[in-house]
Amino acid sequence: MANVDRKYNAVIVDDEPLARQIVREYLSGHSDIYIVAECANGFETVKAVTESMPDILFLDIQMPKLNGFEVLELIEHNLAVVFTTAYDEFAVRAFEVHAADYLLKPFSKQRFDEALQQAKNKLGTTAEKTFDAIVEDSRSLHKPLERILIRDGTKVHIIPAEQIDYIEAQDDYVAVRSAGKSHLKQTTLSKLGNELAGEKFIRIHRSYILNIERLAKIELYAKDSRVAILTDGTRLQVSRTGYAKLKQFL
Amino acid sequence: MHPLFAQRERFVLYMAVWAVIAGLLCLLLVVMGAVTWAEAIALIVPMSLVYSFMCLASLYLCRSFPLQETPFLKLIAVVTASSFLSAALWLALGKGIALVLARIDAFPELNSKYDANIPLLLGIGVLLFVLGIVIHYLLLAFDTARGAERRALELQVLAREAELKALRSQIQPHFLFNSLNSISALTASDAQAARAMSLRLADFFRKTLKLGQQQFIPLAEEFELAENFLSIEQIRFGPRLHFEKNIEEGCELILVPSLILQPIMENAVAHGVAHLIEGGTISFSAKKKGSHLLLSVSNPCDRDKPRSKGNGVGLSNIRRRLDALYGTEVSVVIEQSVHFYRVDLVFPVSPPSSQ
Repeated sequence: MANVDRKYNAVIVDDEPLARQIVREYLSGHSDIYIVAECANGFETVKAVTESMPDILFLDIQMPKLNGFEVLELIEHNLAVVFTTAYDEFAVRAFEVHAADYLLKPFSKQRFDEALQQAKNKLGTTAEKTFDAIVEDSRSLHKPLERILIRDGTKVHIIPAEQIDYIEAQDDYVAVRSAGKSHLKQTTLSKLGNELAGEKFIRIHRSYILNIERLAKIELYAKDSRVAILTDGTRLQVSRTGYAKLKQFL
Repeated sequence: MHPLFAQRERFVLYMAVWAVIAGLLCLLLVVMGAVTWAEAIALIVPMSLVYSFMCLASLYLCRSFPLQETPFLKLIAVVTASSFLSAALWLALGKGIALVLARIDAFPELNSKYDANIPLLLGIGVLLFVLGIVIHYLLLAFDTARGAERRALELQVLAREAELKALRSQIQPHFLFNSLNSISALTASDAQAARAMSLRLADFFRKTLKLGQQQFIPLAEEFELAENFLSIEQIRFGPRLHFEKNIEEGCELILVPSLILQPIMENAVAHGVAHLIEGGTISFSAKKKGSHLLLSVSNPCDRDKPRSKGNGVGLSNIRRRLDALYGTEVSVVIEQSVHFYRVDLVFPVSPPSSQ
């Protein structure tokens, strides 16, 4: 059970001022809750959560820039999430990402208090799943990936899948190359390869995933060794199995 | 009453056919040397006249024993019995005429001549009645086919109407839920505003229901409804949502399909302005282009927003509805860039004549 003396930090996220207002109003009766931030979009939320590390997040789903699920994907620390939305079609997905509760707008004070209690209970117990696993779940539901989200400190970069040139493995990170820029993301090449649309992104080498749209030509480099030349002139090594995969698309 | 009597032309045609039959019968009897021309005409003309009506009675027989539902043997029995019966009746009538004509000494030999030709006349009587049955069965089958065709057509019209009705009334429920949430928030902080919003919401739904009943409404009313909708959304989104309307003079009274703009307005908010941190302005305008009306709705959108699924449903419904209403003279064009989206609807100024 939740500790009676415990204090909780909360962040309210909704792009509608009135929707934030009612959460604030409902929370005003709870002296153990401190509202540390109110956010109106996904970017602000990632920043606020990274900076203030709240315990409870009241999270709208449809928001500018990043939706609620994408925000969770970019947050690294463990917290209890209460979704607030007018859409009931996200309930299953909210359950999959282990939300503490799912409030359908408009909701009553009573229903809100229940959700708050759920959130507190969730913080009191150790989660049956690690947060990484939760994020993994939320990602796997997203297939195929339409855009890659990269957090750089408190800032978020959004790279639409079609703007990716290629992705290169770099130790624990991958470097996503897009329009001459490189963005580091902490994931593995095979994970990303599984998430991106298979008919557009080909693993051509142990270290590379290529956006097939960027391929200009393939040259024989040495016996059994080929090199892919991209439209911008970049040369990437192609392995034998990579070439076999590429051939299906040419 | 037999349907033949309903139409003069058909009746005349039918009697003409019988005149030919009567003529042929006379010819047959004269050529065989059975009777003289005068005897033949005196006997056959009244007989044919009576039989022409007797054969019409076969319609009721055909109706009582529908072709598909009557077993074949039963059908044969019914046809045989009825045709022999009516032929026998006809012969009895002929016998009467012959007797009368012989008695009044007009044609003294007719009675005996008639008796000699009874088998031939019986055969002809049976044949004519069977022919009547066959023709009636054919006409009934034809009627059934035409009825089925008409019913199919009626069903098509009904289905189209139902579809149009369904296409008209497609207000997103989320709009209602979000608006109610705004009202719920306002009740504590600003009761006046909460009341104002409930009134606006009620107004919007009442108008939608009323206008949705009609196939066509004046453009001015359609625009008013759109404004009504956006002003409610403005309470939700606050300073992020702006809108401007531009209606060319003289367009106000042009009849447009009711609620045709509603799904576009919903998209402009939900897929456009709602995704922008700073918000934006939704513009909608109407102007005449010759004999067509151009309705445009434009909104800014977020370049980073992933293409949402189901975005096209509202638009394809609009296209289907316009197609159903106006046929080929419509166009639905989408103009878009990374941060701008516009829908142009073009359709005739004058609504199609109501069907």
